[in-house]
Amino acid sequence: MAEVTLSNVRKSYGAVDIIHGVDLEIRDGEFVVLVGPSGCGKSTLLRMVAGLETITGGDIKIGGRVVNDLDPKDRDIAMVFQNYALYPHMTVATNMGFSLEHRGTSKAEITERVKWAADILGLSHLLDRYPRQLSGGQRQRVAMGRAIVRDPQVFLFDEPLSNLDAKLRVVMRGEIKGLHQKLKTTTVYVTHDQVEAMTMADKIVVLSGGKVEQIGAPLDLYDRPANQFVAGFIGSPAMNFLSGTITPQGFAAPGIVLPLPDATLGSLQRKAIYGIRPEHFVLDDEGVPAEIVLVEPMGSETQVTMKLGETLVTGVFRERVSLSPGATIRVRPDLASIHIFAAEGGQRLN
Amino acid sequence: MKADLSPRMKTCLYGLMCVLLVPFVFPTWWMVTSSVKPISDIFAFPPQLVPQNYDWTTYTKVFELQPFVQQYWNSAYIAAVVTIGTMIVSSMAGYAFARIRFPFANTIFMIVLLGLLIPSEVTIVPLFQMFLQAGMVNTHWPLILVPIFGAPSVFSTFVMRQFFVTLPTELEEAARVDGLGRFKIFRKIALPLAKPALASVAIFTFLHSWNLFLEPIVFLSSAEKFTLPQALTQYTDAYGGPMWNIQLAAATLTALPVLIVFIIAQKQFVEGLAHTGLKG
Repeated sequence: MAEVTLSNVRKSYGAVDIIHGVDLEIRDGEFVVLVGPSGCGKSTLLRMVAGLETITGGDIKIGGRVVNDLDPKDRDIAMVFQNYALYPHMTVATNMGFSLEHRGTSKAEITERVKWAADILGLSHLLDRYPRQLSGGQRQRVAMGRAIVRDPQVFLFDEPLSNLDAKLRVVMRGEIKGLHQKLKTTTVYVTHDQVEAMTMADKIVVLSGGKVEQIGAPLDLYDRPANQFVAGFIGSPAMNFLSGTITPQGFAAPGIVLPLPDATLGSLQRKAIYGIRPEHFVLDDEGVPAEIVLVEPMGSETQVTMKLGETLVTGVFRERVSLSPGATIRVRPDLASIHIFAAEGGQRLN
Repeated sequence: MKADLSPRMKTCLYGLMCVLLVPFVFPTWWMVTSSVKPISDIFAFPPQLVPQNYDWTTYTKVFELQPFVQQYWNSAYIAAVVTIGTMIVSSMAGYAFARIRFPFANTIFMIVLLGLLIPSEVTIVPLFQMFLQAGMVNTHWPLILVPIFGAPSVFSTFVMRQFFVTLPTELEEAARVDGLGRFKIFRKIALPLAKPALASVAIFTFLHSWNLFLEPIVFLSSAEKFTLPQALTQYTDAYGGPMWNIQLAAATLTALPVLIVFIIAQKQFVEGLAHTGLKG
C-alpha cells in the first residue's frame, strides 16, 4: 500500500496539450475515482500513473518515490483493463500466476497466492479453464485476481465494468468495493459513469478537457459542486439549469421569477445560472406555476418534465401524485439546495 | 446459418462442381495412372483412363536412374530449414513493423514490400554472381538463404505484420505491467497467439521451397545435390526425350508428401488462405 502524488503532471502530443498540469494527492488505502466525459483525459492520466504513457512534465510519486522514468513493472502497480486483457492461450491459473512467474517467485508460492486470490474471488472451480470458456463477469474477476495476486502497492482500474451488462455491472461494482474494503490497497479507478463514481469512491476527481474541475468526497461534489460542469455531470437525472439575471426581487429567468437562496445575492445584479436538482422541487400551492409536459412514473418516484416559465426542467417527486400532461402544478424550489453559477465561466457564486 | 437450396439449385451446383472437377482432378489422376502404364498405353487412342496393363517397374527405375533418395532428402531438408528460418525471420520482422515504433517504420516497410514486385528472374543473375564470389554455387546455401532473406520472406513478413497489427495492444500492456520486456512479450504473448498466421506462413513457405525450380537449375549442377523438381527433368532417354512413365512415377512420388500434408492439414490450409487474403 502507498500514497500516490501527482504534481503538475502534463501530457502533450506535439503541440496539443492533453493533460494541463494535474495536481492530486491520493492517501494510502484510499479509493479514488477519476470521472469525466469521453476524451477528458482520465484514461491517459491513469496510464501515465501506470507507466504506459510517458509524461511531458511534472512528477508522479508512488510511495514517496518518483516513478516518472520507471517501467510499469518497476512501479509495483497492477492494472485491470477495460477489455480484461487476459492472455487467451493461458488458463485462469496461469493468467493469475503469470506476473509472479516472471518475478522469480517459487512455484509453491505461486500456487498458494493463486489459490488465495481465487478463493477471495470465487474462482477456485475455474482455474483450469481458458478465458474463452468464461462469462464476462468471470473474466472480470480473473482480471482482478491477476491484479491482487501480486499484492501491489496500487491498483489501477481502467473502466473495468464498461463491457458488462447493467445488472452484472451493479454486482461487480459491489465486488470491487468489497475487495477494496478487504485489502485496503490504494486504488485509482477510471470511469465515465458518475453513478459508479458516486457509489464506489472515497474521493472523486472530476476531469474535463484535461483539467481537474473538482476533487472531493462524493456527497460534497453532489451538494456543493464547484462549477456548472461538475453540477451537470454529477447526479442523475442531471441538474436543471435556468439562465437569467439576479435581481433584488429574485432570479429572473425567461417567463418566471424564482426565489434566491440567499437575499444578499440580490445585490449582485448580474447574469447567472440557476441550478436545481430534480428532487429539490417541492409540490406546494404557494409555489411557482409549472406546466406539465411529460410524466414518467418509475414506481418508487415519478419523473416529471415541466415548463418553468419558458425553460423545460425535470422534477422528481417521491410522493404518488396524479399528474397529467397539459395540467399546471405549483412547485417550490428547496432554497437550501439551490446552486447559483456565474453565466461566464460557470463558477459557483453561493 | 445454412441456406436451404432448392432441388434445382442443388442439381445445378453439383453439375458445376462435376465440371470443375475435371480441370482440378484429371491432371493428378492422369499422372498417377500413367506412372504405371507402359509408354505405348499413355499415348493410346482412345485414352485409357484406367490402366489396362500395369508396369510397376517404373517406380524402381526412378531410384535406379538417379540418386532419388538423396534428392528427396535434399528437397525435404531444404524446405524444412527454409520454413523454420522464414517463420523466425518473418515473425520477428512482422512484429517489429507492427508493434515497435521506430523512425521511418512505414517507409521501410513499403521499401521491403517492393521486393514482392521484382520477379525472381530479374535477380537471378546478380544473385548467381554474388554466390559465385562467395563460393556457394553448387551448394544448397542459395536455396536456403534467398528464400529466408529474400522476396519469399517478404510475403511472410507481410502476413505476420498484418496479424500482429490486429492483436489487442492491451495484451502487451498487461504483459508490461506483469514484468515482461519486449522480447519476452513477443515470445510469450504475441508468438503463441500468432499460431494461425504462422501455420499459413509455414504451409506457403514449404510449398514454395518444395516446388522451387528456377533457382536449383541455376545454382546446382551435380545430380546428388539436385532437388526434386530439378531431378524430374533428368529422366530422359539417350536422345533427350522424356521417359514419360518414369518421369510421371517420380512426379507422383514428388507430389505425394504435399498431398498427404494437404489432406492432414486441410483446415489449416484453408484458414491460411483466408488469413493471407490470397485466392486459390
